[in-house]
Order: sequence, then structure tokens, then C-alpha cells
Amino acid sequence: MPLRGNVQVFDFTVLSNTQVAQNLYRAQLKVPGLCKSLAPGQFVNVNVPGDKRHILRIPLSFSLADKATDTLELIYATVGEGTRRLSQMKPGDASDMTAPCGRPWRLNASSKRSVLVAGGVGITPIIAAARKLTELGVEFDAVIGAQTAEKLFGEEDLLALGAQNVYVTTDDGSKGTKGFVTAALEEPLSQGVWDAVYTCGPEPMMRSVAKLAIANNVACQVSMERMMSCAFGACNTCNVPLAKGGYASACMVGPVFEAKEIAW
Amino acid sequence: MVDQVKMAVNLGGIQMKNPINTAAGTFGYGWQFEGFYDVSLLGAITMKGVARVPWEGNPAPRMCELNGGMMNSVGLANPGVDDFIAHTDDYMKDLEGRGTRVIMQMAAHSVQEMIDVVERLEELNPHISAIELNVSCPNLEKGGKPLGGTPDQATEIMKAVRPLTKLPILVKMAPVNVAEIGKAFEAEGADGLTLINSIPGMSINVHTRKSRLSKPTGGLSGPLCHNAAVRMVWECASAVSIPICGVGGVETGEDAAEFILAGATAVSVGSANLYDPMCAPRILNELTDWAKSQGVSDIHELIGAVEC
Repeated sequence: MPLRGNVQVFDFTVLSNTQVAQNLYRAQLKVPGLCKSLAPGQFVNVNVPGDKRHILRIPLSFSLADKATDTLELIYATVGEGTRRLSQMKPGDASDMTAPCGRPWRLNASSKRSVLVAGGVGITPIIAAARKLTELGVEFDAVIGAQTAEKLFGEEDLLALGAQNVYVTTDDGSKGTKGFVTAALEEPLSQGVWDAVYTCGPEPMMRSVAKLAIANNVACQVSMERMMSCAFGACNTCNVPLAKGGYASACMVGPVFEAKEIAW
Repeated sequence: MVDQVKMAVNLGGIQMKNPINTAAGTFGYGWQFEGFYDVSLLGAITMKGVARVPWEGNPAPRMCELNGGMMNSVGLANPGVDDFIAHTDDYMKDLEGRGTRVIMQMAAHSVQEMIDVVERLEELNPHISAIELNVSCPNLEKGGKPLGGTPDQATEIMKAVRPLTKLPILVKMAPVNVAEIGKAFEAEGADGLTLINSIPGMSINVHTRKSRLSKPTGGLSGPLCHNAAVRMVWECASAVSIPICGVGGVETGEDAAEFILAGATAVSVGSANLYDPMCAPRILNELTDWAKSQGVSDIHELIGAVEC
């Protein structure tokens, strides 16, 4: 049992908040003192002001935590009332967040070639992972999928951050290959092109990616999403089922898990 | 406005330096909050319930948000009393010495399980100040009805458990028939009553026609429960002489003050710990300011002082 939680409350001010794709926004927040203690794959729990009926914070991944400028970048989807209100926050608006939450990606610095796999808003921690892989000198490709071209985001960001190839899939074929991300993964995975997979997206997508990786004996980490109240280990509501039986908290043990640890 | 007001209270033998406690299941085992503030500022903290054996709890989703509150079906996931005692480290052993009182909650699916856990918790004495019995769990030996849901069951529980420990025993009461059942617990030696536990509720996704939790129903908590809880504390306080700890939707000092006026000796902060983790010390300060504004020199002058 740890002796002390390390999650704290941090005030933030909105620097910018713009739409980047259908139902997808990018916010840059000034969060004094936080970014130095965040690592890619962790998350923050944001207090979105403006409606007393909604009491809970919104757990969100970040794509960039720049300690030099105290800037935190969130790419988030508007899926409910809280994220809709977040999308309406203007530069200068202020609130607070609790952080740092969860455990980061365990990026393999000795990987010969890795692949990042994102579905929809799962792109956010994938962008953070891409930046870190480049820092580590690890070569990587990316596969990003969305329902439609209008909802797709991240191709240019990933190329700019050092991805050698970015393969795009859309469910309706409006951009890239028609189909799911697995269509772009099957052959290279079986040919041993990649020795590490990192994925975030809808759970059915991650389940398919995890099974492909496991079947090809390639190491795979997944970033799980759950409804949660506190995000610091007190409420026990964000449980993820484990292959060995029982559950683990997405906010304390996760959100990043080894794919083989999870009971899919 | 007076300058000083005595805030210390005695909750059934638990000597609290102030009336603010935390509701079990919303405060983990205390350490989760140490990054936010010094938890020993609080009069007491109530630990998440432990059972005889580890409980996995229910599948996801275990929680959904509602207008003015939330609903959970955690299912009291906990490591079990043996694991808890084995991993009770210096942090836990030091809490009492730092000046806050530690209340250990326990959960069970039968009276026999309750007996087993209370006997084991004796080992934590003197690192805890009291045991709180959660009597809202389903009794698996008797068709799944709440363990302490009738006066007869209350009598059976207390006759079994009371002789096992000299520690004060609090009872965390389900939000049903609190006056009558509270009297039954009092008659058999309960030292105090904590009320209310979460209120059974249900939320349906009308598009999928499914429950929004993995179980059909869950427990409501948060501000939407507050005034139901104040009413039950008032009814129970009118019926019993043992002290009451009020729980339900406390977000501010005024919310806590309502419980005090309704007859509570102490007040637990619950769900608000989860979404506003710095709130408990603020609520204590606001409650203290309110007591001063009432012109009293001791918080006891305000307990049960509602005029109606």
C-alpha cells in the first residue's frame, strides 16, 4: 500500500480551444507546475465549470505536456454535455484539474520498429507517445482510423513527430483504406515488421489489435477508457477485468495495460 | 459573531477534535488524499469497508453520473480483512497519533461473516478508534435482503457483535425506517449511528433499453440525496439518544450545518471527496464560521437546534 497519493489540484487557464475535426477539439491550457510531473499515457481529470447539475470531472488524455512553457494540450471529442461545455471555453477562461492520473506508456527504447495504433479520439495519447518515441530514437509507423474522413485527425501531427509511415483507414472508405485499423496491421504484424504495438481507441478496436498482436507474439500495450469519479484510487469505479481474474483500476494500475493482462 | 467556538465532539466514544468525518468508500484508505491536504485536519476518517475474504466487486460499468449526483454499483470491492491487516503499514498506524480518529468499516454477507471480521479487526486496536458495521449488504444466507433491514435483524447483529469488542461500534444505516431500526441497534449497545447509506436507484439508457450500470440498480449519492438524508437524521435523532453522524450530499459548511441542526453530532463528507478532493477541510472551516455566526461558544449548542 503506497504511503501517499501524489495527485494534486492544479489551476489552469485556456490559451486556445479550436475544432480540428468533426466533434474533435484541441485545447491548449496553461497549467503552472503540472507538466514536469506528467509522462505520455497519463491523464488529467478536468473540472469543466458552468453546470452545477454535473458534479464529476472529465478524465482526459493529453497529447503534449510542455514543461518549458507549462502548456498542456488536450485533444478531446465532444461526446456529452461536459465535453460540449469544455469546447465552449474561451481563451482566458479558468478552472482546475486533478493530476497526474494513472501510469504512463512503458515505451520500449530498444524496439527496432514500433507501431502506434489510434482510433478516433484515441489519437491523443498516441501523439504523446510518438513524440517520446522520437526522443528515444525509436523508429515507428502509425495506423490511424476513424468512422469518416471528417472525423479523422492526427496524420500530419504524427508525420511531423517522426512517424515514417502513417496508414489511414476509415469505416466508410472516405479516406485511406476502407475498413478498420486491423486491415492495415495484419500483414506487417505477421511479417515481423514491428516488435512493439501501442494502441488507444474504442474498446472493440483495441480488442482486435490486442488479439492480433498476441497471436503474432508482439508486445502490445493498450490505453483503456472507463467511467470514473475520482481518478486517484478512492472510488473504485473504473475497474478493468484481468486475464488472471479480478479487476484493476484504470486510474491507478492503468490506463495503460499490457494487452495480455486484460480479460478481453 | 464570536471569536472562538469549541468544535470537539464525542461520537459514541470517538473523541473527535471537530465534527468532520469522511464517508466509507469515498476516502479510500486515507493515503489517496495526502497529496491534496493533511488528512489529520479532519475529526475522523472512515476507511473503506473490508470483508472476511476479498470481494472482487461488480463488473464495469460501476458508476454513472446523474443530475446532481451519481450512482454506483461497486459491490464493495475490497482486499479482505487479512490482506488489509497484513498490509497495514506505518501510515495507517500513525494516523491516530497525528490527531485524527480512524473508523474502520466492515462489510459482510451474513452475521457469521460479521463476527469473523470484527474479531479480526480487534487486532488493529489501538490503531483504530471504532468499527462501523455496514448493514446494507445483501444477506446471502437469507435471500439477499439487506443484512440489517429490520429491527429484529438489528437485534440479532448487535447481540452477536457487541460482546466481541470494546471498541465503539457505529452502524451505517440503510435509508429505510431509520427511527425504528436505529432504536433496535441502540437497545443492543450500538454506540452511534451513521446515516444514510446510498439510496437504491436505477438509471436506464432509453436508446439501448439497458441499465446504465452492469447491475440493474445501484446506490445514489451526492447532492441529490442531501435533503432526504437530513430528514432521516432528524427522524432518527428524535428517536434515539446515541449520537448520529449525518451523511449525504455534503458540499458546503451549510450542508453540514443542516445535519448538525437536524440532530447529528458529526458529519461525513462523501461523494464530494471524489470530485472536489480538497473540500473536506474547506467544509470544516465553513462549518466553524457558521457556528461562530450563530453566537455559540460550543458546537454542542447547535446539535438538534432546529426550530420546528
